[in-house]
Amino acid sequence: MMISVRGIGWVTSTGYGSVRLGLQHQFAQGEGIHSLAKLGIFSQPFKNFGRLDGMSRKTVSAVALALQDAGVEYSSACKQDIGIIGTSREGSLKSDIDYFKDYVENGRTLSRANLFIYTLPSSALGEAAIHFGLIGPLLYATALDGSFAEFFDMSVEMIVAGETGRMLVGNIVEDEALYFVIDGKQEGNAFCSLIEARSIVESTHGIPEILRQLSILKIKKGIA
Amino acid sequence: MRAVIVETDILTPFGPGIDACWDGLLANRTAISRLTRFSTKALFSDYAGTIPGLTYHGEMSLVMQMISQLFARTGTKIPTDAKLLLATTKGEIDLLEKSIITGTGDGAESSLSNLLKKVINLTGTTGGGLVVSAACTSSSAAAARAAATIRSGHADCVLVVACDCVSEFVFSGFSSLMALDKVPARPFDKNRAGLSVGEAAAYLLVMSEERALREKRPITGEIAGWGMSDDANHMTGPSRESEGLVRAINAALDSAGISADRVGFVSAHGTGTPYNDAMEMRAFRAVFRGRNVPVYSIKGGIGHTMGAAGLVEMAIAQRARRENVVPPTVNLKDADDDAIAWVSDHRRVVEPNAIALVTNAGFSGINSALVLA
Repeated sequence: MMISVRGIGWVTSTGYGSVRLGLQHQFAQGEGIHSLAKLGIFSQPFKNFGRLDGMSRKTVSAVALALQDAGVEYSSACKQDIGIIGTSREGSLKSDIDYFKDYVENGRTLSRANLFIYTLPSSALGEAAIHFGLIGPLLYATALDGSFAEFFDMSVEMIVAGETGRMLVGNIVEDEALYFVIDGKQEGNAFCSLIEARSIVESTHGIPEILRQLSILKIKKGIA
Repeated sequence: MRAVIVETDILTPFGPGIDACWDGLLANRTAISRLTRFSTKALFSDYAGTIPGLTYHGEMSLVMQMISQLFARTGTKIPTDAKLLLATTKGEIDLLEKSIITGTGDGAESSLSNLLKKVINLTGTTGGGLVVSAACTSSSAAAARAAATIRSGHADCVLVVACDCVSEFVFSGFSSLMALDKVPARPFDKNRAGLSVGEAAAYLLVMSEERALREKRPITGEIAGWGMSDDANHMTGPSRESEGLVRAINAALDSAGISADRVGFVSAHGTGTPYNDAMEMRAFRAVFRGRNVPVYSIKGGIGHTMGAAGLVEMAIAQRARRENVVPPTVNLKDADDDAIAWVSDHRRVVEPNAIALVTNAGFSGINSALVLA
């Protein structure tokens, strides 16, 4: 089975975009990751985007851009067999600190459920699953060396074994998020093969440089 | 390529080893007790399943104390080329608690990557390592990935290690969600009112059948099928329709190449929360279509051990297969209407080498199902 990359979405502290469609938007003054829900990247309104933790905001935004890049329509009401694997070095550390500091500052008597729910590394992926209607396998994973390429392999295993038809695979490094849509379907245009994308991800350091290499690949392939 | 289990061990609130946990469950005893590790005055419950003898906020994190004890017991040499999958939800979260409460240290010490490094050093594995975290399905998800990696031929030996601890962090969080029962958890009982937090560590050594035979390892079972799904419905509660768990179970049965009528018993997630247990029963009724299959939960015995739950439950299910008997659901007094004739407060005899279905579910609507043969 030939596994292909269908779309790639990204978010950084200075802007957002997608690779195949060539979307690239720099944040204006006052804009940022917090304002992404108002910038038209979601095809259905994102209720309570403001209450999400930082990891979830970056994840759902990059996923929205990746799905749009891949031409995959979505709706929380119309669920799809798409799985998601996310990785990041810090996991839920920032939300862990926010939750427990708040609890300690309240005299270790009052804890807030709305902070606690983001203290799992997989919580951001859960927010994405709910909003985009993703009903395939969902897990957070991290490698010792922070490698991202290994999760492409895990996704391929899932697709080839028939565990799901399509996967979202993404990485978050501080304020940068990058998500790929991959599948083994024959129909439609692929951006590149998974082998090409894997090679770039494996040999390149940092999300901005991965995006630069993917843009070079796009030019080489003559994708308008 | 078949993915076979060659070694497994657990450390639970019943003490070290599968025997301790198995004997406790068969005797219909609970190891859930009043919590003394931290103050629960302002919290919803003061019961938890804790492992005796651990030092809270000491030199070493709770999970590293547990994992060290676990591997100190093993007489089996872990192959150095094993790929390591570490399953946990909160790992060394007590290190972060300590740093915030005392205002010293670095909360980043509690990162899952740091824990992975420590477990790699402890086990001496060199085959690469990953943390797998999928809420309370973490270790069943890791076991599924181990089997998938072996079946695909990408590895022939995978060590899955699972752990989670009872911490003020997690306990206060479940309390804020009002998910805790005031008394030890009563899975599938009419009067169940929530879960009891528990802690455990476990490991599972999975090999390709070919390698296990070549190395003359004792094969104790096979991870014959697995399925994972998401409800895409709610962050903390399961879908009441149970369609997500049904999909995971059907995927696991397909993966194993068997039909539902071959399943001999079910090790359920059975947390004791009203919604989880009702959702599971609805799923079992949908999958088994009129056939009452013996179902049990071990969480009345040891509490909900979160990221370690799947692996501990696999170990107990393996034992049940070997002994041809499934344990009672501890603390069950009056079975909920939809669970009558499925669950029992007594041990039950099952077919020799019955095929087991192990189900788990977690926050974010994650579902997992494993078929053990």
